[in-house]
This record gives sequence, C-alpha cells and structure tokens, in this order.
Amino acid sequence: MKECLIVGKTHAGKTMFALNFAHYLGVTNLEITFRHPSGLVGSKTYSISAARRELVGAAPHTTRALQSITLDLPVGKGSKRCLFTDTSGLVDHIHADVEIRRAIAQTLGAIREADLILHLIDAAAVGLQDAPSALGEVDYQVAQFAQMRTGYAMLANKMDLPGASVGLARLRQEFPGHTILPISALYKRGFREVKAFVQRYL
Amino acid sequence: MARRGERRPPVQVERISMLVEKGELAPPAALASFRQTGTPLAVSSTAGTDSPLEKALANLDRLVGLKEVKQLVHEIKAFIEIQQRRAQEGLATEPLTLHMIFKGNPGTGKTTVARILGCIFKELGVLSKGHLVEVERADLVGEYIGHTAQKTREQIRKALGGILFVDEAYSLARGGEKDFGKESIDCLVKAMEDHRDDLVLILAGYREEMDYFLQTNPGLRSRFPIRIDFPDYTLDELLEIAQIFLAERDYYLSVSAREELMRQLQVAHNLRHSGNARLVRNIIERAIRRQAVRLSGQKNLSRDQLMIIERVDLEGGAAA
Ligand SMILES: Nc1nc2c(ncn2[C@@H]2O[C@H](COP(=O)(O)OP(=O)(O)OP(=O)(O)O)[C@@H](O)[C@H]2O)c(=O)[nH]1
Ligand SMILES: [Mg+2]
Repeated sequence: MKECLIVGKTHAGKTMFALNFAHYLGVTNLEITFRHPSGLVGSKTYSISAARRELVGAAPHTTRALQSITLDLPVGKGSKRCLFTDTSGLVDHIHADVEIRRAIAQTLGAIREADLILHLIDAAAVGLQDAPSALGEVDYQVAQFAQMRTGYAMLANKMDLPGASVGLARLRQEFPGHTILPISALYKRGFREVKAFVQRYL
Repeated sequence: MARRGERRPPVQVERISMLVEKGELAPPAALASFRQTGTPLAVSSTAGTDSPLEKALANLDRLVGLKEVKQLVHEIKAFIEIQQRRAQEGLATEPLTLHMIFKGNPGTGKTTVARILGCIFKELGVLSKGHLVEVERADLVGEYIGHTAQKTREQIRKALGGILFVDEAYSLARGGEKDFGKESIDCLVKAMEDHRDDLVLILAGYREEMDYFLQTNPGLRSRFPIRIDFPDYTLDELLEIAQIFLAERDYYLSVSAREELMRQLQVAHNLRHSGNARLVRNIIERAIRRQAVRLSGQKNLSRDQLMIIERVDLEGGAAA
C-alpha cells in the first residue's frame, strides 16, 4: 500500500486537511493509527466532529505523532487503498522542546520514505514573518527534496482567508515548475483537484 | 565543471535524525543533508549492490539538466550491448565507432559526461581502462618538425585504454597549412586506426567553431559519427547546480541568499555569461569563504550557523 504523507510547517492546517479530506472521500468513522516517536503504536476511532475537536489545534505543535487513515480512492474501474499520514509540523529553527524535536525528526524520517508528498503551506501567512506557519527555509528544503521524486504537490491552504490569494501568487512565483493546488481545508475547497492528483500517482 | 559528476559517500540518515532530535541540527539543514544522500530510501537502500555500470549511469542521470545528452548516452549503451549480443549469436554486427564530437560552451558538462562515458565503456568491455586524458592544443602541438608527432603520440600513449579528450579541438586547424596543428590531426587520425579497439577520441569545443572545423575537414566528419550538443543551463538548472554543490559540502542557502543568487544569475544571464556552471561554482566558493570570514571570531556557533549561507555572503558576486 502506498503512503501519502501530509507535511508542512506547524499550524499550516495539515490535520484539518487530513480529516476533512477523509470525510470528503466518504469516510464517516475515522479510524486513526498513531505511531508515536517513542515507537508506541495505537489506534482510535473518531466521528469527524470529535476528530476535529480533539486533533486540530488552536496552538502550534498539536500533532506529535504520525497519524494515519486508510483511504480507498477510485482508480480506473476499481479502487486503490492508500495510507494517508498526517505528521508533526515542521519549524525552521532548532526547537527548544525536545519532545517537539523528536516529533520533527520522526516527520523528517517519514519524508524520506513516503511514496507521495502533499506539502501544506498556509497561503494566508506566506508573508507574515512571525507566524509559526509563515513560509520558511524548511518549505524550500522540502520542495527541493521532494522534487527528486514523482508524486509531490504543494497545497496552498486557508484560501478562504484574506491575503491568501496574494500568498498564492507569491508561492507560484517562488516555486515555478511545482504543482501548487489552492485549497481550503476548513471548507473542503479544491479537494477535487487534490483527489485527482493523488489518483494519478496511486 | 568537472565536479558535477563527483559525489561524496552518503551521510548516514539515522545520524541526521538523531542530530535533529538532540537539537544540533535545524530541520531545513537536515533536509539539505538528506538531499546529499541522493535518491530517496527506496533507491538508495540498494545502492550497495549496484554494479559499477549502474553507478556510472546513476551518476549520469543525476547530473542537472542535459536531457538529450543523457538519452543519447543510454542509446549508445544499448547499441553496444545489442551489438555484443548479436556477435554472440553470430549475427552481422556494425563496427563500433565511438569517437565523438562534443559541442557547447565551457562549463556545460562536457568533461563530466566524457568521464562518465569512460566508466561506462570500461564496464561494457569496450575500453580496457576507461580513464580520461584531457588535452588541448599546447599538449599536442610542438615547436619544430617532428616535435608535434612526438608530443601527440605521447598523449595518445597515455590515453590508450581510455578516452583522449581534446578541448578546443578546432584550434588544431588554426594557422593554416604550415601550422603543426595539421600534423597533430594526422597523428590523431592514425591513432584512431591503429588503436581502434582500445581508444576513444572526443573532440570538444564551441558549437560554431566545431561546425566550421568539421566543414573544413570533411575527412574527419565521417570518423566521428556521434555528435553531442551541450546546451547552456537555464537559470533554474544553475540554481539547482548551486544547491547540489552546497549540499555536497554541508552548506545550504537561506531564503534571502537564494533570492540574491537568483538575482546574480539573472544579471549574468542578461550579460550572456549564462548557462555556465563554472560561474555558479565561483560565486558559491566565494560565498563559502565570506561566510567563514563572517563567522570567524564568533564563539558558540551552532551547527546550523556553520551550514547556512546568508545573503551578505553572496553580495558582491563572484569578483575576487
Ligand atoms: N481559515 C482557515 N483555517 C484553517 C484552515 N485549515 C486549518 N485552519 C486552522 O489552522 C489552525 C491549525 O490547524 P491544524 O490542522 O491543527 O494545523 P497542523 O498543520 O496540523 O498543525 P500542527 O499539528 O500543530 O503542527 C487551526 O486553528 C485550524 O482551524 C483553512 O482552510 N482555513
Ligand atoms: Mg496537526
């Protein structure tokens, strides 16, 4: 089974996207497998609203494990199973909290092994220097790294917010030649394009 | 730029993750180091078992840009292999004439590709050693009668079993009939006949000059059936070359340094010094020295600070 990894800076909206995209594909009971940096593995089933309430963060660094959902996507006449994995958010600098550093190290390891990478960027925060989800070094490095592989797209998230279209224009300019899909994880906008992109690589 | 084909052994992935966890490496630097290990895990995990031939081809494919060059090299390889298989089956075979013309500006990857071809030919059993001997007019042409033949033969002897790469080959035809360059050409042509089984000759140089050279020396044209064009690099390719060059040396560019580099490459592009990987290398080497100056004298430098090239390190361009 192929693994599609959702990565990006912290607070970019990765978890919101993972949950709402699963819901968009018709999954109502979300069975999420947690792989913690410590090596512990567990799983729990949520309703979509409970999942959003418990897993989407008001503050950065909410996600601290690899959180996977198995999704079935129609491909050709049948369907293909794929592991959608949400990850702990990245930062540009060395974080002071060792737990967060450990979670990030886990994300980085997963990036090397993923079959497909969806790189979330907070389009509304592209130019905001101080926001945790502002476009940063690590985004450029993810793009550079992922360029060497076939399945890689940037998802410009939070397109519902003011300033996001300016951010999107800037992303297009910064990353020519990359696939950039504008979405709103919150309002499930642009998901059809994401689905088509993922299907192409399964 | 000869160094494009060279790569250091992969750094250990586990170690990189550990450094991130220990707080000694920032995530962007970790990703930059990952890139240094080349292809993603799925491929690199089999790297240990790769044959030298596969490695040579992987090195070729890893070069930035050069799409057509790569394709041609793969075609040549396939042709050699099929000819060998046909020979085994007793089928008629084409004689293998692998002498080549490389056309393109300096710094477009000609030498690097020639070196990789040497490895490939060795692995395919076409050449016994596969090494590359790079020469130019001064190495071949002498000052008095007989001197030229002696010098040229000396270089041919060194190149036996490998590739003799003549840079700016058209300069051999400079100076007209009386010039000793002509004698050198004759010598090279004779060597191609005498050592047809264990010597490959590559004549390289600027596109227009090479075209003129071949037009005015029609006898040479048929002896060099393979012609490869090396186009100038695009801006994006130059940036990628810079980033690979840096990653191989455990450096990376900050966002604003990247912008500054792009700006400088754009300026060079407008001035038509474009497509030149050597220019990129000069800019980067200078930035690395300037970063050292900027950091020297500072205490408590983090690993990240030691790796990052900032905008100020690039300002002032490649000039010394
Ligand atoms: N307006 C708007 N807000 C969004 C969108 N997607 C996510 N958010 C908000 O952004 C914040 C962060 O969302 P998360 O999904 O937790 O972000 P994350 O990338 O998983 O962050 P970490 O796991 O903490 O690294 C939350 O307050 C979300 O409600 C969107 O499309 N539009
Ligand atoms: Mg999250």
